[in-house]
Amino acid sequence: MTSKHTRRGVLRAGMATSGAALLSAMPAGRLLAQEPEKPSEIIVRAWGGEWVDALKAGVSDPFTEMTGIAVRHDLTEDNEIQPKVWAAVAQGRVPPIHINWDTTTNATKSALRGVTEDLSDLSNLANTTELAKPVGLDGYPLINTYGYVYVLAYRPEAFPDGPPTSWRDLLDPRFKGRIALYNDGIGFHFPAQVAGGGSLDDIPDNMEPCWNFVREIKEQNPLLGEDPDFTTWFQNDEIDAACTISTNALGAKRNGVELAWTVPEEGCKFDTDCLWIPKNLPENELYWAKQYINLALSQESQQVWLDGLGLPGVVPGLTPPAGLENDPSYPTKPEDFEHLIRISSAVQVQNESDWFARFKEIMQG
Amino acid sequence: MDALEAALDMIWPRRLARYSGWAMIAPAILLVGILVLGLVQIAEGSLHTLDRSTFLPSEEYTLANYQTIIDSTTYWRVLWRSLLGAGLTVFFTLLLALPYSYIMVRTSSATIRKSLLVVLFLPFFIGQVVRAYGILIVLGTSGAVNDVLGLFGVEPLRLLFNFPAVVFGLVQYMLPFSVLLLAPALTAIPRETETAASSLGANWLQSFWHVVIPMAKPGLVGAGLVVGTLSLTDFAMPAMLGGGSQDFIANAIYDQFFRTADQGLGAALALLLVALGSVIAGVVIAIFGAGTLGMGGRK
Repeated sequence: MTSKHTRRGVLRAGMATSGAALLSAMPAGRLLAQEPEKPSEIIVRAWGGEWVDALKAGVSDPFTEMTGIAVRHDLTEDNEIQPKVWAAVAQGRVPPIHINWDTTTNATKSALRGVTEDLSDLSNLANTTELAKPVGLDGYPLINTYGYVYVLAYRPEAFPDGPPTSWRDLLDPRFKGRIALYNDGIGFHFPAQVAGGGSLDDIPDNMEPCWNFVREIKEQNPLLGEDPDFTTWFQNDEIDAACTISTNALGAKRNGVELAWTVPEEGCKFDTDCLWIPKNLPENELYWAKQYINLALSQESQQVWLDGLGLPGVVPGLTPPAGLENDPSYPTKPEDFEHLIRISSAVQVQNESDWFARFKEIMQG
Repeated sequence: MDALEAALDMIWPRRLARYSGWAMIAPAILLVGILVLGLVQIAEGSLHTLDRSTFLPSEEYTLANYQTIIDSTTYWRVLWRSLLGAGLTVFFTLLLALPYSYIMVRTSSATIRKSLLVVLFLPFFIGQVVRAYGILIVLGTSGAVNDVLGLFGVEPLRLLFNFPAVVFGLVQYMLPFSVLLLAPALTAIPRETETAASSLGANWLQSFWHVVIPMAKPGLVGAGLVVGTLSLTDFAMPAMLGGGSQDFIANAIYDQFFRTADQGLGAALALLLVALGSVIAGVVIAIFGAGTLGMGGRK
């Protein structure tokens, strides 16, 4: 699908934003302003590889085309940019980025710390689904832009009897040293809780079933890495299966690796990523950063951006990318979510450090 | 020349001559001062825990972060792995660097000396991360080593993502440092001492063991100290070659600063690493004497 972004469309969005600002009692000075001075560029933190390629095609390039403002992608890891932004805001400096493309859990930490701008006045928010709204936070200090699933990706030739149906299938001795997880266990804790015989209702108070299953998995000598590692490991024939975001599996598949993915009977973690703007930006740069996010919430941008990622967005009416219709990694209907596990950001933010520490404790043994 | 001296006199008048030494050392003091200032701030940060309702450091001062480290089996394990990794890296690096340096210094062939120097310096132009990627390619399941083994009917072996792979990467990275530190020490040993030893009946091995190695002690100790401290604080090799399960202390610090946003705990771990490195350096100097390292102390 081709995207059509017209100058008139952007002006319309801008006027709508101004209207919303008027209603939300913004300072008069800002209301009277026409179009604020354009910065020569805005900096968007992004993940590399197919992630940034998709953002560039769906949002950044159209934004530049419409506004003439260049978009620079800062590929600093989300976890690494976080303390830099926090320090900049705490010291009253201009932050190093205009927009942070972040996990919702990480962004929620920044929102709780009070370093995020409110985005409630974006006109395109009116067209978004409930998924766009951050849970447990007032207003829109961040906006979720799509959902994703930590699937069980596997090499079909390693499973000649058919796709794995349970996470416990990974305990087969032939997969010793041939499976991979994230190095902090993210995405794996909740299905492990079920695979270990526990209940999701016990999260976070009793996660012993999760840790018991992690100990069993540890005996399989799993590789532990980050997003790019999974693609590399599949390509280099280092692993047969991994708990990873479906986008990474899709990326490897698009690079010619024979790969499939599934949602086992215990379920898979479903989560969201988001966009947010740090405080302390000059007024005009804040305005254009908001316009960037507003554009990212338009149907045209979502379609192109998320076609690249192979993920479901937050505006209705998007067409699934080829081959992903009815795919478990692309949930759109209520029944698609039956086997997906969604735990509130509030619970994750409060407990994530402990879960990471416990996972490390087991895996570093 | 007079104009130059006059200009110099304007910048640094002769009456200040007795402070010239201080002026020359001032930049170094400034650099160390900044380091100490950073350490003081890290120490201050380590005394605050993370308030997870606001993700800000707590107001009150506490030793809770240090207690967390003491109570954690993970950190003790990581600490032990770091020390063992550094120790093994020092051992294997010196084992390889000593003969390499000796041949480089003693060879009468200019071609061999230049070739050894080129081979030594080439890796310096390639960063640690790139070198680690090179190792990933060569030692991977589909890498060159397994390809060669395959010619002999050996099934692909998992050569990466374990502790030996991390030590291998560190040794490969540290070897040039070690050779460069050893070469001057070996050059300083007069060739005549070896000739004298052989004229007294010592074979080459005896001469090397009883004459060269003792006389090369300053270089060995210096190289060991540098390689040991660099290995102890290394981040990239454990992260890239360890497969996520062979963390060193630097990786644990990274996790706290950047993964869980717990800067207080990260700061406590960082101070622990600084203390550990300082103690090791102090013990080495105490055992071998500052003079051994050419610092003009007791011989």
